[in-house]
Amino acid sequence: MFQFFSDALLRAADLALIAVALSAVYSLIRFPNVALVQYAVVGAFLAISLQSAGLGLVAAAALSTLAVGALAVLFNLAIFERLLKVESSIALIGSLALSMILSAVFLLVYGPTAYRLQLPVLAPIRLMGVRLTTWQLWTLGLSVVVLALFALLLLRTRLGAEMRAVATNAPLAAATGIETRRVTNIVVFLSGMMAAIGGITLALRGSVSIDMGTNLLLPVFAAAILGGLGNALSAIVGAIVIALAETVITNTNLGPLMGEAVWFLPASYAPVASFAILVLFLLFRPRGLFVSEVTRV
Amino acid sequence: MIEAKELRAGYGDGADILHGVSLNAHAREIVTILGPNGCGKSTLLKTIAGYVIPRAGQVLIDGMDAGHIPIQRKVRHNRVGYVPQTDNVFGTLTVAENLRLGAALLPRAERTARFEELLAAYPALAGKLNRKASALSGGERQVLSLVRALMPRPQILLLDEPSAGLSPLMMHEVFDAIAEVRDKHDLCILMVEQNAFEALGVADRAYVLALGKVALTAPAKDLLKDPAMRQLYLGGEIEAA
Ligand SMILES: Nc1ncnc2c1ncn2[C@@H]1O[C@H](COP(=O)(O)OP(=O)(O)OP(=O)(O)O)[C@@H](O)[C@H]1O
Ligand SMILES: [Mg+2]
Repeated sequence: MFQFFSDALLRAADLALIAVALSAVYSLIRFPNVALVQYAVVGAFLAISLQSAGLGLVAAAALSTLAVGALAVLFNLAIFERLLKVESSIALIGSLALSMILSAVFLLVYGPTAYRLQLPVLAPIRLMGVRLTTWQLWTLGLSVVVLALFALLLLRTRLGAEMRAVATNAPLAAATGIETRRVTNIVVFLSGMMAAIGGITLALRGSVSIDMGTNLLLPVFAAAILGGLGNALSAIVGAIVIALAETVITNTNLGPLMGEAVWFLPASYAPVASFAILVLFLLFRPRGLFVSEVTRV
Repeated sequence: MIEAKELRAGYGDGADILHGVSLNAHAREIVTILGPNGCGKSTLLKTIAGYVIPRAGQVLIDGMDAGHIPIQRKVRHNRVGYVPQTDNVFGTLTVAENLRLGAALLPRAERTARFEELLAAYPALAGKLNRKASALSGGERQVLSLVRALMPRPQILLLDEPSAGLSPLMMHEVFDAIAEVRDKHDLCILMVEQNAFEALGVADRAYVLALGKVALTAPAKDLLKDPAMRQLYLGGEIEAA
């Protein structure tokens, strides 16, 4: 039982970082940047490359995180700001194109093999009957700290108030003297960093290959939409729901249904859960878990 | 203090909405802009504020060309305040957060004092500091938007229909407040209004806009007295008032 929850929690933490980033950026620029899941892959690959170039683990992770933040800003200035002047649907297609280009670059540079970070072997820990590796605990802790810091920034600081102000009403924010473009690019930077950290936490627990971004796309989007796109912190709840659903469908013995004693859905079917939940929500609560009707004024 | 010279402006590739508008307003003066719906009053204010870039003509602040300075820079550096006609508060933020964003432009040491000072002057807001602005009544929002704009001590205030949606009592309170800031802080106030009769009551001068042009300009008192003008621009019902 506890094993089930710890699996779900670990998965939720990975998804939450990227889903919160996606939702936060969406709140400001009004289009879902599909390329964000690829920023997570860039973060993971870059950390691996920096480490194999001789940097320590922490330095490699930190440098990669900052670099991906900077890259996100660069892409925003060079591509998305221009496309948004035309239309947000064009920007969405642009972000799809960027995703594919990034995928192609990964294939070119890294090929189809899976890569790992070089990690010291640490003894696993037993906690209430659950076997956890030390790295799982570290990644969980890291995700929780990063999410908490982001929440504090958003809710308790002046920059956070400016971010919410720009998200609510950009023209009025400008009339309040807020440099809306600067605030937007700060959020883009933070979102790139969060996506990178999400990718690095995945790399800390397993291998990284070029299809990681594609595999993340659906559950991350489902989590962000469940939270109500644009409500950054609610995406955390969305991530927990998706992670629970995925864990349930891959951990339930479907033997009786299949006429066999024991039959589990292969783990590769986990996205089915996200997909099913996503479709249900889009049908019945298109604005997410927390908004049942239009409350925007 | 603030002057528009032969302003021409419009949206996107559309036709001109303003066809060469000239006006001015000085310190310690309330100038009201009247005119029928759709004649371009809000567009004029947005062009002066810096949301809409003029296609021709000039916006001068203290004699300096400011036509191409975007609104956030005008607010930060030229001490301009602007309150739009609609969506003039941050609905998802609390009342206190709305006001603090306004005060954020002041030097750090002055912020709290200014915040307290204005709350004392507008007690209606003081009891609702932790409410979301979207949960305020229309009138309370109007007051909040005005106080938010006053926070950084602007010297020029551009108000787009500050009395819209207010009860008569509230309307008088808001106009009294506007007259008070003019007198106390030597403000230059440019105010678009639909409630022409009341607006002329507090204003010093008025411009009447029609079809994107200044149809008439006169001291507010004269306009109030002129029966033909009342009939033409202020609507028949004013006759009874
Ligand atoms: N954002 C916009 N894009 C395109 N056209 C606009 C825009 N805003 C206003 N217009 C057009 O410009 C003209 C003038 O509009 P404006 O809002 O300036 O009028 P107004 O005098 O303020 O009217 P009201 O009294 O109803 O507020 C109208 O024909 C309107 O349709
Ligand atoms: Mg208007």
